[in-house]
Amino acid sequence: MTTITIAYRNIFRNRRRSIMTMLAIIVSAMAVVLFGGYVAMIMLQLETEFVRRSGHLQIFRAGYFDFGAGQPEAFGIGGYAALIDRLRADLVLAPKLRVVTSTLAVTGIAGNFAEDASKTVFAQGQVPSERERMRHWDDYGVGSGRHRTSALSDDDVEGGVIGIGVARMLFLCDDLGVNDCPAPPADLTTRVVTAQDVPDEDFSDLTALDAVEPAHTDPRPKLDLLAATAGGAPNVVSLAINRAESQGNKVIDDNFIAMHLTLAQRLVFGRGTPKVTAVVLQLVHTADMAAARAYLTRLFVAEGLPLEVRDFKDLNPRYGQITGLFRAIFTFIALIMGVIVVFTVVNTMTMSVMERITEIGTLRALGLRRGGVRRLFVAEGLMLGMIGASLGVGLALAAAAAINGAGLTWLPPGNADPVDFKLVTVEAPQLVLSAWVLLMALAALSSLLPANKAARMPVVDALRHV
Amino acid sequence: MDEDDVVRLSGVTKTYWLGKVPVTGVTEVSLTVRRGSFSVIAGPSGSGKTTLLNLIGCIDRPSRGTVTVCGKDIARLADDHLADFRARTIGYVFQTFNLIPVLSAYENVEYPLLLTRTPVGERQRRTQAMLEAVGLADKHGQRPNELSGGQRQRIAIARALVKDPGVVLADEPTANLDSRTGHDIITLMRAMQQRLGTTFIFSSHDPDVMAQAEDLFLVRDGALVDRQVGDRA
Repeated sequence: MTTITIAYRNIFRNRRRSIMTMLAIIVSAMAVVLFGGYVAMIMLQLETEFVRRSGHLQIFRAGYFDFGAGQPEAFGIGGYAALIDRLRADLVLAPKLRVVTSTLAVTGIAGNFAEDASKTVFAQGQVPSERERMRHWDDYGVGSGRHRTSALSDDDVEGGVIGIGVARMLFLCDDLGVNDCPAPPADLTTRVVTAQDVPDEDFSDLTALDAVEPAHTDPRPKLDLLAATAGGAPNVVSLAINRAESQGNKVIDDNFIAMHLTLAQRLVFGRGTPKVTAVVLQLVHTADMAAARAYLTRLFVAEGLPLEVRDFKDLNPRYGQITGLFRAIFTFIALIMGVIVVFTVVNTMTMSVMERITEIGTLRALGLRRGGVRRLFVAEGLMLGMIGASLGVGLALAAAAAINGAGLTWLPPGNADPVDFKLVTVEAPQLVLSAWVLLMALAALSSLLPANKAARMPVVDALRHV
Repeated sequence: MDEDDVVRLSGVTKTYWLGKVPVTGVTEVSLTVRRGSFSVIAGPSGSGKTTLLNLIGCIDRPSRGTVTVCGKDIARLADDHLADFRARTIGYVFQTFNLIPVLSAYENVEYPLLLTRTPVGERQRRTQAMLEAVGLADKHGQRPNELSGGQRQRIAIARALVKDPGVVLADEPTANLDSRTGHDIITLMRAMQQRLGTTFIFSSHDPDVMAQAEDLFLVRDGALVDRQVGDRA
């Protein structure tokens, strides 16, 4: 018969009160674990989405990140193929790497001349097979969802994908089968091109390009992409649109074009030496990101290469904003729950002390030290916390399993495609364990105040208490 | 202090504070209690019996004077040492039994031995023996609320004696019992005292208890007014 045994029996002396206290702890544990699981899910899905899109790390020419947007010719990385080979063969880095690919960011004008429509766009040249491999990164098992297969392929150099906003503004919705495309305003659809609309410029170079191109037999809708070459001259390529895709963000939707790297390089560098704006590294595990970044930085400094490394958090500031927001909400909820637990346990234990003053006096008279009395009440608080937190965590895990098993999907912030709604609970044992331990500790600490009061009670006064 | 004396009070005064008003519990009391005696501190309600018992029982300290129990001056002991001293040396029998409600009869009796860290085998043997001595071996698993008043007080007596204390203090142990049960309890305590040679000090104004006393101390208004020492029983 130990202090724990006595404490255990004592908490069931007033069953209703103890059950109400445990209920408060159970609800708190469930709230913390389930909401924590929800926040963890958002963070992991967000990270998964960003890592799939932009990799963990991107290597740029020094200065590109701050000054190079829209200037691929000035901030391009020449000899990028050798750099990629070098990274793939690096003994330290290679085991950590999943995909190493290159990308070329281009700003230009996309024109659908059949509809007399054009707009500025942000185009990204990619190696389709490597990008497709990146889209299957799922280190946390949270990104399965519904996979959209890539509409680009390595063999289709002319093919491209555009954002649904680009499709809408260039009047390609019907051709590309985009649903829910609003009809354009009347003054746009009835617009008649007049002589005054045609700028007084010489387009002979462009028409010459058309002249040398073979006649199109490709049935896909086309866009003409206009951009400045490295030498400053305008250049045009024709892009066959495979699909219009939602990018989960209106600004991107309205400006995005994905195309084959070769075509993008042809647009920017013509017949000159092709370059890329970034070498993209997707790692096997995010945990290796800081080490890989530091290693690369040291490597470039040691070899005097004018390159810099950025991680996906630098590239996607929204990641930090969204995770920060959810962390703050989680902290707020956890604090509220903690305060509820503290007040409930303090109230319960104070009532318990008040009801047992004579008993405390008796125990002290029999020879129990002040510390023994304190231990007894703290043990009772701890036990309330242990039972409540265990039940709460158990119920939360069961609820999470039921929710996860229901096959729900949802669209997390920043995502273009729906993903599985899977609360991250069992997969985040540190969250579950922390909630369990913290609630127990909180219950034990909350009982310290009434326990001290009980321990400091003069024995004579306690025995005299009626 | 004579080696035969288990308790000695010298010029003991105890003053309580009722808010800012001092209330004297006992004044200038000096007495000794012989080892192995069956002593009674008698007097009307409010005369200071319980105060004296509390001082002897080391759960209160004198405002003035010295209280020596089993050779220890209790004023010199720190709180934890005093608690340990009580655990080893003092047995209590309370007017309202004061058993621990979540413990069974057996566990209540065993509890003082846990405080003195008695080895488990020894603990079981002594607890069982004490339950048999008070005639409640068959009630060992029952909680206090399943026992009668008399049975509860027997368990309290077993609890007080199980650790073989230097002195057992009983604060009006028959006050909450009917006269027949009260008589049985006093008879039991007397028998135990004679069998074990333990010093018993009662506070009581029950004539039946006073009749059993070997040494009788009469107190009134906080002062010791008479003592009848010797084998009166």
